[in-house]
Amino acid sequence: MTAPSNAPLLAIRSLHAAYGKIEALRGVDLDINAGEIVALIGANGAGKSTLMMTIFGRPRARSGRIEFDGQDISAVPTHEIARLRIAQSPEGRRIFPRMSVAENLQMGADATSSSEAERASGLERIFTLFPRLKERMSQRGGTLSGGEQQMLAIGRALMSRPRLLMLDEPSLGLAPLIARQIFDAIRALNRQDGLTVLIVEQNANHALRLAHRGYVMVNGLITLSGTGSELLQRPEIRAAYLEGGRRA
Amino acid sequence: MAGRVSATLASPQDSRVPGIAFIFKKALISALVALVLFSLMIGVRTDAGPDGQLTYWTRFGDLAAMVATVFGGSIVVELLRQWWGPVGTVRVVPASVQSGLSLAGRLVAPVLLVFTFLVPVIFYNERYILDLAILVLTYVMLGWGLNVVVGLAGLLDLGYVAFYAVGAYSYALLATNFGLSFWVCLPLAGILAAFWGVLLGFPVLRLRGDYLAIVTLAFGEIIRLVIINWQSLTGGPNGITGIPRPTLFGIPLSPGEDGLAARLGIEFSPTHRIVFLFYLILALALLTNWVTIRLRRLPIGRAWEALREDEIACRALGINTTTTKLTAFATGAMFGGFAGAFFATRQGFISPESFTFHESALVLAIVVLGGMGSQLGVALAALAMIGGFELFRGLDQYRMLVFGMAMVLLMIWRPRGLIGHRAPTVFLRHNQAISADLVNEGRG
Repeated sequence: MTAPSNAPLLAIRSLHAAYGKIEALRGVDLDINAGEIVALIGANGAGKSTLMMTIFGRPRARSGRIEFDGQDISAVPTHEIARLRIAQSPEGRRIFPRMSVAENLQMGADATSSSEAERASGLERIFTLFPRLKERMSQRGGTLSGGEQQMLAIGRALMSRPRLLMLDEPSLGLAPLIARQIFDAIRALNRQDGLTVLIVEQNANHALRLAHRGYVMVNGLITLSGTGSELLQRPEIRAAYLEGGRRA
Repeated sequence: MAGRVSATLASPQDSRVPGIAFIFKKALISALVALVLFSLMIGVRTDAGPDGQLTYWTRFGDLAAMVATVFGGSIVVELLRQWWGPVGTVRVVPASVQSGLSLAGRLVAPVLLVFTFLVPVIFYNERYILDLAILVLTYVMLGWGLNVVVGLAGLLDLGYVAFYAVGAYSYALLATNFGLSFWVCLPLAGILAAFWGVLLGFPVLRLRGDYLAIVTLAFGEIIRLVIINWQSLTGGPNGITGIPRPTLFGIPLSPGEDGLAARLGIEFSPTHRIVFLFYLILALALLTNWVTIRLRRLPIGRAWEALREDEIACRALGINTTTTKLTAFATGAMFGGFAGAFFATRQGFISPESFTFHESALVLAIVVLGGMGSQLGVALAALAMIGGFELFRGLDQYRMLVFGMAMVLLMIWRPRGLIGHRAPTVFLRHNQAISADLVNEGRG
């Protein structure tokens, strides 16, 4: 499970990306080592989601490098990036509402053309993490609650047996209790399965507690980085992201 | 569970039953609006007199009848609404009725299929019904073909008739110019139509919804206009005549000595050919259905449906949306091409008039009325649209009116189409065995 410790699994170097004339990423550097959880925090519009989408090739990087396992993927077509076993749970969950839970999960497995045995073991793992999904297998995705939909979105991403899992705001709009269940599941995936995770969050408190390391993004630039506990101690982080968020 | 829901919903029902005064007021307002509208539309009739001057006369009797109908109708509708209760009420259906209905629902498709197979036997001597059945089956096939594009992949295509035309002209031109037989031309017509489907697909890859609809509409018109204007190839508005009839693997169904009847030693009858055409289109339609059902269970079919649901999520999952869309267009177009080749061989004559936007709209209406994505729904809708339209023939000029009203009512009562639910394509072998502790955890 462990890659050579000197080379990061994902290395981003001076990455620029833009929507038309609006520059969303203005030279981002970021490393994710195999087996760690990295949190990316920042305010609305800082470019967190754009960074995640750019890793997936939409929008394309204007300049800079995105190296996954030593290979530059900044020009690889989106559907082939998923085949390298980078999975994402996109912002707003985006499950398929009229398809059943089982079909939603199968969609995740389709892209990487998993074998029947891999599919079955993937399902078993998802059911131990999220037992509720097992009961809801034949239900339509759109009839699930918000928390269950988030579980489904993560489960769907897991079905492609990812080496890197990227989660965009997994706690958005969820009750605190459900959000904690989701974070617990992410921790379990990291500790027990050695899964590498990039988590984009506005809920900085939760995310930094969970993560080994964190990055803070402001206006398309990384302004701060450090271990999760280091960042949690910084007064500017507390002022900007925690004091307001703690009440919730 | 159901009891609790109905109890909570039933309580506000009693408080908002409108009184007699309310009903009368509403009916009076409706009648007043009708009076204003109809006074000129119905109350006064103008016509050209014998010397060309304008004459008019009044029809106050008809006007009064219409206004009275609106008044009475409004009261009836309001009373019906009270009797039925609020929209949100959960109605408890007895278990026996429910199981009976579900049994009937499962039997509809097999019974319909068996009946279809027997149609030429039952109605052997009724040419009119056989012709109508062939027409209905043609539209069933077109509906199933378009269903791949619109129902499964969710790409609104208003120019489907283009592929129907490509198929028909492919067969007609190949058969009349090169003397190729129907069975050689049929796959060629499908391939050519699929090719045009891909050609249409490329420029519209980035379009969705309304924009896609406009471009496909234009594409359908372009194909028709090219056919009209390219006189040297297509014969223009005069069309193509003398398209060969299909043969039973080389044996013509003609009265001559080498005809099928003579070889079998039975007396020739023109009905043989009609029956043959019937089974031909039935086989083509069932092929369409079978392929679609099989594709739905494969990753490509699931990708079509996922594309309909959420294109961004598809990309995040690593689905190649380009090939997914193009295969949907190509598959749908191919079946349209098959149907077109059949149409050409059945008619023996084709002209651009058969491939107007009206056909696209009709096929799309069949798909939407049937319930997008439902195979059985599309078949029932084609039967209702084409067969029903013939049924109303006795109503003369009111036929369109009755038909339009029926469609509006259907869309009010069943906004998702006749058969709105979709059957899942992935099943778990162990989904019955849910252990008790898991169930408890879920409830908590």
